[in-house]
Parts: sequence; structure tokens; C-alpha cells
Amino acid sequence: MAASIEPLCVHGCRRFVTLSKTFPSFLLRFSRTASHLARHKYDVIVVGGGHAGTEAAAAAARVGAETLLVTQKIHTIGALSCNPSLGGVGKGHLVKEVDALDGLCGRAGDWAGIHFSILNRRKGPAVWGPRAQLDRELYRQFIQSELLSTPRLTVLEGSVEELLLTEPDPEEPGHHRVTGIRLANGSQPVSASSVVLTTGTFLSGSLFMGQTTSPGGRIGDAPSSAGLSHTLRERLGLRVGRLRTGTPPRIVKDSVDFSLASLHAPDKQPTPFSFLNTHTRCKPEEQLPCYLTHTTPGVEKVVRESLHLNCHIQQDTKGPRYCPSIESRVLRFPGRRHQVWLEPEGLTSDLLYPQGLSMTMPPDVQLCLIREIPPLHRAEIHTPGYGVQYDFVCPTQLSPALQVKSTQGLFLAGQINGTTGYEEAAAQGLWAGVNAGRWALSMPPVALSRTESYIGVLIDDLVSRGVTEPYRMFTSRAEFRTSLRPDNADLRLTLKGFEEVGCVSSLRYQEAVRVRDSLQDALAALQSLVLPTSSWKKILGDVGISETKNSILNGMDLLQYNNVSFEMLASAFPERFSPHLEFSQRLEIEAIYRPHCDLQRKEMERIQREESLSLPPDMDYLSLPVSLSQEVREILDRVRPSTVSLSTKELNLVFSQSNQQHQAQQLLW
Amino acid sequence: MEYSFFKNCAATCSCLPIRTSKIPVFLGHPVLLCDAGTIFALSSGHGRCGVAVVRVSGPASTTALRCMAGLTHSLLTPRTALLRSITDPQSKEVLDRGLVLWFPGPHSFTGEDSAEFHIHGGPAVITAVLQALGSLPGMRPAEAGEFTRRAFHAGKLGLTEVEGLGDLIHAETEAQRRQALRQMCGDLGRLYQDWTSRLKRCLAHVEAFIDFSEDELIEDGVLNQVDTSVCDLQAEMERHLKDERRGERLRSGVQVVIAGATNAGKSSLLNTLCQRPAAIVSPIAGTTRDVVETALDIGGFPAVLSDTAGLRDSPDLVEREGVRRARERVEQADLTLVVVDCAQLPSDAQQAPAFLQGHLSSILPTQEQRCLLVLNKTDLVSEEWRQQLETELRRSSGLPPVCLISCQTNEGLQDFLAALHSSIKALCGDPLSGAPSLTQARHRAHLQQCVAALSQYHRYRDTDLALAAEGVRLALTSLGRITGRVGAEEILDIIFKDFCIGK
Repeated sequence: MAASIEPLCVHGCRRFVTLSKTFPSFLLRFSRTASHLARHKYDVIVVGGGHAGTEAAAAAARVGAETLLVTQKIHTIGALSCNPSLGGVGKGHLVKEVDALDGLCGRAGDWAGIHFSILNRRKGPAVWGPRAQLDRELYRQFIQSELLSTPRLTVLEGSVEELLLTEPDPEEPGHHRVTGIRLANGSQPVSASSVVLTTGTFLSGSLFMGQTTSPGGRIGDAPSSAGLSHTLRERLGLRVGRLRTGTPPRIVKDSVDFSLASLHAPDKQPTPFSFLNTHTRCKPEEQLPCYLTHTTPGVEKVVRESLHLNCHIQQDTKGPRYCPSIESRVLRFPGRRHQVWLEPEGLTSDLLYPQGLSMTMPPDVQLCLIREIPPLHRAEIHTPGYGVQYDFVCPTQLSPALQVKSTQGLFLAGQINGTTGYEEAAAQGLWAGVNAGRWALSMPPVALSRTESYIGVLIDDLVSRGVTEPYRMFTSRAEFRTSLRPDNADLRLTLKGFEEVGCVSSLRYQEAVRVRDSLQDALAALQSLVLPTSSWKKILGDVGISETKNSILNGMDLLQYNNVSFEMLASAFPERFSPHLEFSQRLEIEAIYRPHCDLQRKEMERIQREESLSLPPDMDYLSLPVSLSQEVREILDRVRPSTVSLSTKELNLVFSQSNQQHQAQQLLW
Repeated sequence: MEYSFFKNCAATCSCLPIRTSKIPVFLGHPVLLCDAGTIFALSSGHGRCGVAVVRVSGPASTTALRCMAGLTHSLLTPRTALLRSITDPQSKEVLDRGLVLWFPGPHSFTGEDSAEFHIHGGPAVITAVLQALGSLPGMRPAEAGEFTRRAFHAGKLGLTEVEGLGDLIHAETEAQRRQALRQMCGDLGRLYQDWTSRLKRCLAHVEAFIDFSEDELIEDGVLNQVDTSVCDLQAEMERHLKDERRGERLRSGVQVVIAGATNAGKSSLLNTLCQRPAAIVSPIAGTTRDVVETALDIGGFPAVLSDTAGLRDSPDLVEREGVRRARERVEQADLTLVVVDCAQLPSDAQQAPAFLQGHLSSILPTQEQRCLLVLNKTDLVSEEWRQQLETELRRSSGLPPVCLISCQTNEGLQDFLAALHSSIKALCGDPLSGAPSLTQARHRAHLQQCVAALSQYHRYRDTDLALAAEGVRLALTSLGRITGRVGAEEILDIIFKDFCIGK
């Protein structure tokens, strides 16, 4: 294993830790009992070691806070509980943004990826979906070693019994203030200025398989304590809802007949997620394939005949529309073939993950069901699938910093806020961690605008609209999709992450500055090269430049033609352009998108203006002496928007758009 | 009243508010909220009349009914007219006897609690009642349009309906009234809503193809459907736009410009049409120097009639400016009445058509300009010559409709009015038949942007679907400026309704 590990440094990025060497030293900072803790006061305590928790802990430590990560089992930190993959359309955007803010998941994906592909390759760079199948073990190891090498971060194994609360700081809004946690084993409390809860599906979680139900958030793990749930609900008075999700059975690889499935090869050249990596750990030729197959009418029959044995599907807790169980798929769309992907679980794993076959029927029925699918006709199940129902906190009770509005210092991230997916969790975790750290260090909270990032869109959607079903990111949620591309996440976020937020290392910052300056130089060089159409034709040959167009074109104009690449320009004008060849693809994308982004700027500025007009969190909307209908008052009172932008959005649900009203006012005499 | 307090943070990466002040603060966003309080206004017209209606809207409406009409809680009956003595709340003096009505919100025009006082229409009564209302706490006179604005904010009216209501109140002619009523009832809104929902569906399908096609069985055929829909929508919008501004014309009046040589009798024609001496008339050439405008109702259609300076070269600076303005008006006119002095026509009637042809081209900037040829002063020519002229004019082709009139004797005036009416009617269209007309330049601008944005869809359809979708999204935003915004969640709902989406 160690032999295949090689440093992936580019431009001075930090080296991948060689896991085999660092493993023993893990335990030095990973404490198994609270009594081993070096201290009993931290700036930030993060509860949970999943995608949200690990990003939160790392981010809080990066902004300078002394941080403690508390998790039930150190061993499962960074575990991929469900699918062995990262990224995709919309989700890939989040991974790139988390990476741009110096988060973990992008680099972990590059380390653990065993099958890379860019989805939507033919639909335009704004909607490219970088995605990878992951080796579960490598992913977990990378996250754990990263946390270990993060200064100011301690990890503690334990279960949180309750939150410690006290009177609020009267200078700040809120009814309570968090002061720390008490662990289940009855040991001394651990105090902190901020607590980030990332309990995933563990908050009052129940597992469902067939007709049996047991408390828990993930199979094989102890349920979380009822105390935490009680604190949130009863002491803090937070509104909670219930959601459900599920995971498919894992299948023994050797029992699958791959000749009956169609092979799906990865990209020939893997594209790394991280802006710091030029290549992935996995060599192109070492990548593993996925296989595609489909359901048959037999699958539908098994589902229908076993409904009476299936508690989970009978309950009407809201399940995701976009990650539905096989039961809800065939019941909602009967008589259709549904895709099933057979995905590798790792380089050395002998298991397969059947994406699309999440199910909650009894194990013997699960076996019958999968055997109705041709390549799985003799398949064996290693671990059966199951469903999970869990509480989430209605996220409209959070500020854009992901802090609970009523409770100073308490932050929530991940599935506890009603989202689904690793990437959504990681993005919130990072932002909650940043703000938890800043709160502890008495720095003002920061918010990301939906005009500048998918993370901003995600958080804005959560805190302003709430959720009625597990929330997943899509590119169509971002109004300014043409500007918020995976390729430019570094320019959008890394500079600001260093200069204003403080969560980005100076190494990454320097790299982003280098990229920004080089791109600016290259774009200036392109713009300054102005030639008549006839000369361009002579130089480049027939590339479809029409005569009727402006007779004079610059290099940027030329790059907008499908047939013109930056390499062509560089070979025609080597002195001018060849220094910038490193950025060929980014320059081509810029040339095409820049005019559209310029058009969007005005609308973006309008939204940013509204976002920056803040409303006091303690405003009494019900008796506000302005002309508002009772309905609107109630909505405002419930949501307590923190900015005019949020309140306008809320009100749009009731009546029309603000600028329409504005027009109406102008036009009515 | 000023309610300004914003804490204006940096535009991006804004620091969230950390408020330390406990002083109550209010929203000051002009878009979001309007001023507080209960408003009142005289809703019927000003001036002496039989009955006047005073309207009250806002939370203190019941206070007004209690203090001024003695309607205690037990007497308040929704939407029922009661005959009451109306008294001054302070002096208790009876101001008038009249009908009072109570409309509890949300079932009222504004959506708020409202009241109406139907009182006698004398100026003293009205003033006394308005003063009495103003003396009540929390009451203030309404600003122009405030009742409608409140109705709009309460979601009682859509934007096009509000515009229709505004037009209805301002309608001066029968045809304007019909068009406005149709718009207020939502005909135009429905047309735009239909386009919006079709565009939404197009966008949802493109978005589904972008966000889900890699995972799911979304066929390429989806995009072909979108292609067809987008083409259809573009064609329909272009047809709607190519109405030659009929609706807008009907709303704001047809621009009719009287033009011609000096002393042809243009000002006489204006005075004859508006039946009053609106313009100075004299035998001196060049009497009219500036543009004289007057609004007319011509058979139910609104017209703005402009008399202009006679077209001739003049050394006089003021007159030259008048001629320049006249030519400018003719260029902008919906209809030009070219007035010619019969006596100035060639004595050989056979040459008259060619002469008129030449005369027209010296006045009208283009051949397409709609015009009526008015041959004035028929009282000055012999009957025999006139008949010859009419014969020649009938024989010739290529001339616009010709009317022979005499502003002196009113001869031929009826025929001329009929011709004018039919021309104007053609310019306005029938407000009740066919598709509803585009009534506002604002709508036109947004629709033009919408059509342009849709061509971006076609441009990028095969190379960059994200930019193609952006075109549809922009189109929807433009339409949304007329009808209401479309949110991302709505698009996702359509996606999930129309496709079998699973991970």
C-alpha cells in the first residue's frame, strides 16, 4: 500500500500524509476518555465526525479556535455511510467550493478516488459535474490523518448527553447561550464558547428493516442519547420535523455476473477536485469501472407483494424525491425500467454498492428482489439495506451563519438541518465551523451570498425557505449558474476566504493569487490582440468566422468560436500566449461566459444590496406600525429574516416580486 | 414619516447584524412596505354632486365607524348599508345623514378593514367629514393610488390588473373603457400567465436534462419538445408585438396631425373638429407657429389632434422652428390629415392627382405613413370643376382616401368624420375581439427582451446547454417583470412531476 503512495505536491501545497507512518501517532491527539483531555475548556466543540463534523472541526481550527471534536467512535470518523462516491452535478460544485475554502473533502476525494468522471461534459462548463467513486478505507484514512495534522484540534471519543446552557449575552440577540456539553459517561462537563451539532441521522434516529425497528442513526453504531434531542426540543423550544432516508444492501462482488451488465468506464484522464492537485492518487489505468443495469418487472412484483412486511415505506415521513428507495420508485412510476449502478466500494474491497436499490424490506425479501435483476441473479447480500428516520431542526430557525437564532453560540450543520448528501453536509459543516470559531474568538459572523457561491445558495435556501423534504443541491437552484462555475470556485472564494474569513492557508492563498494574476494577464493579452477578420482567417484557416461580423476581432472574440482553441492561438502567437498555456481551458471558458456574466452583474448587485440590509433579529413584526397584512406579519414573525433580501423572498411566497411592487408603485400615479 | 435605520454592511460577505440597541426600529424599505396607518379619501369626483363617497382603509376603520356613525361592535354588520347620522367625533355635531358600510378584511378591496361613508356631495359636507376623519388618531389622508397599492400588496390584484384598473379609472372613451375593463378582469394577465407557465415548463425540461439526465432515463427527445415550444412561443410573442401598437394607441390616444401648406385651412379644420376656436384662424399665411393640441373622442376612440405650422421656407426664425416641429410631429403621427386648399390645385383637373402625389411626398416622410387627404375650401371652387376633380381622383390610383370639405360651410364634414373614424378604428383595433392587446410600452419592452432571450436558447442549444437554459431563464425573468417571479423551487416541482427522478 505504502509503495503506491506518492506525494502530489503542486505549487507548494501540503503533502499528503503518508498514512502508514502517521497511524501510531494518531492516538496522541485522539482521546478515548474525557479524563485524558488536556483541558476542559475549548473555544469550539463539534459534535459528530461525519462530513459536516470533520469539516466544521477543521474549519474552526483553521480560523484559530481551539477545537474539540466529539464522536461516538474515532474509528468511524470520515466514514462514508452510504454511497462510495463524491461529487456529481451540483454536488461537484460544492466540493470545489469547499476545497476553495481549504476544506477537506476535495483533497480526500483526490486521494481516495478510484473512478473519476466529469458528468454533463457536453452541456457546458457551468454545469460540469466532477464526480468520483471512492475507496471507503482510503477516504476515512485521509480525513483522519488530516484532522490529526490540524493544529488546535483534539478528538474525543464519547457520546454527548446534553448541552450546557446559560443566560444570553444581553448585548446580542437570543434567549439562551451555550456554554459547553456534558458527556454521557457522567464525567466532568467540557465548556466551550461555541458548539456545532452535526449529528446526522442520529437525532432520535430509528432504523427500519422489514417489520423491525430499532433506535439508531447508522447500523452498527449506538443510538445517540435522548438527552440532546430533549434539550433542543424542550429547553430551546426548537421546531423539529422528521425525515427519512435509506441505504441499499451491499453485495458480494464475486457473486455478480458482470457479463449481464454494461460497463461504464471512467474518464481516461482523471480530473482532480482540488485546486491544489494536478493529478489524483489513482493512476488513470488503475481506475475501476462501474456497471449499469436495470430493474425488471419482477422487481416491481417483489415490492408490491412485500409491502405488508415493510414498515418504512408505509410511513408517510418525507423521503427524498431524488434519492428514493426502490420501493417508492416502482410505486411512483410503475411499469418502467429503473437504472441500477453497480459501483466498486474500494480497490481491495470485495463488495459492490448497488446505487438505486435503497430498500427497507426484510433481508430475505431483499435477496429475492436483487435476484430479479439479471446480473444479480445469483448475488449474495453482505449487509442488508435499511431505512432511517430521524429528526431535523427546521433550518429557518438558523441565521445565515448557521447559528440557532435563539441560542448564542449554537451552530447546526448537515442532515440535522434537513439536507441530504455528503457534499451538502461538508459545505454547511465548513461554514458552521468558520462561524463557530469566529464567535468563540469574538469576531463578527460572516455570510456567503447566493450570488457568489453554491454554499451561499444552499444556506440561503435553508434558512429562508426551510425544507419539506431532504434538500439536495442542483445547479438549477443557483440563479447565477453561469457565474458560479466549478472552474472558478478558487477565484470566487479562496481570496475572500483568506482575506475576510480567515479559513484559508497562506499557501493556498498564494496559489490562488498566482492563478488570478496569470488569468488577468492572459485575458489582457487576448484582448489586446486585435486583428481584422481577414488576418485571423489567414492565421487560423477556416474556423467559421463569418465575414458579416465585425471586421475587427480580438483574441477573446476568437475564443468564443467553437473551432478555436487557446492552443491554436498559442501556436500562432507563441511569445504572447504560450506562457499562459497552463490555463487554456479556463481561458476558453472565460471567453465564452464573460459576456453573460457581465449581464448578470446588475441583478447580482441588486441581490447583494438587499442581502446587506439587515433587520434586527428581535423585531416585533406583530405590532409593527406599518401596513402589513396579518398573514405577512405571521410569516415574518415565524421566519425572522435577518436581511431585507430574505424577507422579500419570504413575502414572494405570499405576493409578487419586490421589483414588481416597486414598478406598481411607480406606475400608480 | 421616516423609518430609516439600515445597518448597511459591506455588499459581499456581509457581516451579519449584531444589534445592541433596544430602541424599536422599523423597516424602511420602500419596496417592501408602505406607510402605516389608516387612510381615507374622497373616492368620488371633486365638485358639487348628489352623493359623494368617502373611503377609509386600515385598522382604525372600525374606530371611524364607531366615533362618527355610532356603530358599536354589536351594530357592525359586514357589507350592509346602514342609514346613520354622521357626527363630528369631538364636537358631536351632526355633519350629515348618509349610508355607511363596513367591509372587514380580508374580504375588502384593499384586503384590510375598510369603511365607506356615502354622504351628500356638497363641498362643505365633504370638507367637514374629511376633517372629522383626520381628527381621529391613526388616520391620515390617502396618497394618490394608495388604496390600489394596498390592494396589490394584499395580493388582491395582479400587476396587469392594477394597470387595467388605473386605465379604467382614466378611461375617457368607450373603447378605452372596454380595453381597460378587459385587462382589469385579467385577460392580458392570463395571456402572459399562459406564456409564463409554458416557459416554466420549457425551463424545467432543460434543467431536468442538465441536472438529472446523467443519472436518469431522460431522453434527448425532451429537448426537441423544448425546441418546438420555444419556437411557438417566440412566434406568438412576435405576433403580439406586431400589433402596430393598437392597444397602446387606444390607451393613450391616436396621434392625429394636421399638416399642409400655409393657409390651407388646417387651424379651421381643428376648430371645426373640436367645435370651438382652439386655434387662432386668420387669412395671414403662417398664423399658426407652434403645435396646438386637443384631445377628441371620435366615435368612442381617443384621438389627440395636433394643428401644426404651415410647411414653407420662411426667413422668420420662429416660424422656421414651427415648421421643424410640424415635420417632427408628422413623423411621429399615427395618422396625418394633409390639408390642401382646393383653389391652389391646378386648374386642369386632370393634373390634380399627380400634383397631389407630389404634394404628399413633400409632406410625408415615408410612403407608408397613414394619411387622409383633406381638400378644403370647396366653397371657393365651381361645382363643375369639383365634379371633374372627383372623377379624376376616382380614376387615379395610389392616392390615400380623399375628402372634400369646406370648413366654412361644413359641407362634406359628415363624410370626412366617417372616414376619420374608420381610420382611427383601424389603428386601435376592436378591444373586445381577438387576443388582448398590448397596452403598455413597459410590457412591450419586457416582451421584446423576452423574445431576444429566447434566441439565445437556439444559439447555444447544441454547444452549451447551461447558456441555452440561461436564455430561457432570462426570458422568464423578463416575462416575470410583467406577471410575477418564478422561483427555482417551482421549476424543480415541474421536474419532479414530469420525470421519474431517482438518484
